Amino acid sequence: MKTPVISRGVAATALALGLTLSFFGAPAVAQTIKIGAPLALTGGLADEGKKQAIAYDMWLKRVNDAGGITVGATKRKVELVKYDYQTNEQRAQQLAEKLIVEDKVDLMLAPFGSGHTKVVAGVAERYGVPVMATSASSESIFNQGYKNLFGVLAPNTGGINALLTTVSKSMPAVKRVAILGREDVFPKSMATTMSELAVKAGYQVVSSEFYSVGTLDLSTPISKIKSLKPDWIYITGYSKDLILARKQMADLGVTAQVVTMITGPVYKEFIDALGPQAENVTSMTWWHHSAQFKGNDPWGSTKAFYDQFVAQEKSDPDYVHAASAAALVALQKGIEKAKSTDKKAVREALASLDIVSFYGQIKFTANGMNGSKELPIIQVQNGVPVPLYPDSVKKGNLRPFK
Amino acid sequence: MIYTQVLANGLMLGAIYACIAVGFSLVWGVLSVINLMHGAFIVLGGYLAFFSWLHLGLNPFLMIIPVALVLFTLGYGIQRYAINEVVSKPVLITLTVTFGLEMILYNAMNLAFSATPRRIVLDLGVVDFAGAMLPLDRIAAMVLALALTGLLYLTLRTSKVGRAIVAVRMDRDAATLMGIEYKKIYAITFGLGAFMAGACGAIVAVVFPISTSLSGLLLGKAFVICVIGGLGTVPGALVGGLALGIIESFAGHWLGSQNAILIGFLLMLVLLVVRPTGIIGKKGYE
Repeated sequence: MKTPVISRGVAATALALGLTLSFFGAPAVAQTIKIGAPLALTGGLADEGKKQAIAYDMWLKRVNDAGGITVGATKRKVELVKYDYQTNEQRAQQLAEKLIVEDKVDLMLAPFGSGHTKVVAGVAERYGVPVMATSASSESIFNQGYKNLFGVLAPNTGGINALLTTVSKSMPAVKRVAILGREDVFPKSMATTMSELAVKAGYQVVSSEFYSVGTLDLSTPISKIKSLKPDWIYITGYSKDLILARKQMADLGVTAQVVTMITGPVYKEFIDALGPQAENVTSMTWWHHSAQFKGNDPWGSTKAFYDQFVAQEKSDPDYVHAASAAALVALQKGIEKAKSTDKKAVREALASLDIVSFYGQIKFTANGMNGSKELPIIQVQNGVPVPLYPDSVKKGNLRPFK
Repeated sequence: MIYTQVLANGLMLGAIYACIAVGFSLVWGVLSVINLMHGAFIVLGGYLAFFSWLHLGLNPFLMIIPVALVLFTLGYGIQRYAINEVVSKPVLITLTVTFGLEMILYNAMNLAFSATPRRIVLDLGVVDFAGAMLPLDRIAAMVLALALTGLLYLTLRTSKVGRAIVAVRMDRDAATLMGIEYKKIYAITFGLGAFMAGACGAIVAVVFPISTSLSGLLLGKAFVICVIGGLGTVPGALVGGLALGIIESFAGHWLGSQNAILIGFLLMLVLLVVRPTGIIGKKGYE
């Protein structure tokens, strides 16, 4: 039969070519850099997970279209290995392990929020894989001694101090603060930090209370706040809680000179769901597109990032989008600085990273947080979040809530 | 004055709790099926009311019956063509089936509607009654929730189908010997459970922001209410719902909101030990 003869011929040619190439040196095929990303694409945090995925894909396309990340003398393409952890903490932990052990990712991104970041960071630390948090701002997560955890958000305290400064400057008569916080990692941290810092700043905290994660109705704590007649009502939680809180404030006739909801007004869905009731609610955020920066990253400027996002998504980016893209920029710059994807080398490069990007400055403190950012304070005015602080981005003055 | 408000808050919440639990209790009591889809049914009802309001401008209160009928059809179909096939198997099997179906429904809703919280804006105004602020949308929700619960009670007590459901619940074999097609009654009962969930969803959507993440929370509430009030009866769900609403409201006021849910669960545990039938439940359904 002829076929085996031809096959043998082909095989012999291939072998000869292979030997020749190996003798003279084959053209090097640069290995793809793998970055693992556990995402909450379904479940309670699905909206936030999808925001992260949009920003990741924007960065990935931009970087790979430019040939990839520069590692020493070569350019290496990037592959994002994404899994849906269904907003399930145990699943996030399992998938982090799978990404490291089976998919052999070089570096990791953390899921949305401080709670799930903590879980994934614990796994990454065990295997010595650098992990970049996109949206964790609770210092307790970063103060656990993890060497491989970094995060692009600035600590909560900076935002609360900025909020206290903004209110005390514009409304010195405001003295009595009522605080209501969701009993969950980030919202609880924002409520307890506010309690501490408000007292230090000379405010009287008339009530400081928490509501459980599974709370359906907030009318009782809001009724209690009403009876205390505070000047400033400060509530923390996720969008669903804050929409409910604001609605029930209106139902029960509860008002104050200042109403802050952390971080409701940052999100479009908060303003859309509340309509006029969102008006004059203040908050803090980690990024606002009004703060313009120029930097050496795939976009080169805040404007370029903003323009691409608006063209693609037909809406403004919020801090989750920006911080998610910035997290990948930080990993990219860490690899470029290390000239390697070796985990230890990248970790060391990240620890001493100091760059300015479309997102602003990224420079990690000893605990891995991005300590260099001045956090904007915003207020919903005429249906859009308007920055009030810092002066570099200020576009309006604090208005009384009532 | 503050206690009038706390009591009013508890009653308004309790009526909605009763409505949340009554369909779940009916299905559990009659079919011995723990329907893990119940929370997702309520959320689906809420979304149907929300989108009817958003796109067609229909008042969510007027949508209660149409939404409930859609859910009845869905529930009837699920029981008739899926759960009836395994309904005589051990409870773990039916539990697994409803768990799987719940996951499908939950993720389908996530894909279709996203997890973004949605809110119906009615803003009907507020009434000041003895120092308590009573939002009219919540009062309407409370009245309708109680009316629906009462309607189900009357249906079970007075209608032919209702008597057949009660007969199947009491003794399936004897009911079959009397000419009742128990599988058909099972499907109608499951459909009625879904009907109540859909109606309740339309009411819940007026009072609370709706998101897919509510489904687990609502299911958990239904469990607790059934254990507190007593399983398998409409009055049991009513008493359990009102008791839980008032207890959570006063516990939140006196012990802090973070402890309100804990107190509800503690009450459930105590009842499980000292009175497994619940406050007004009948022996045999514990």
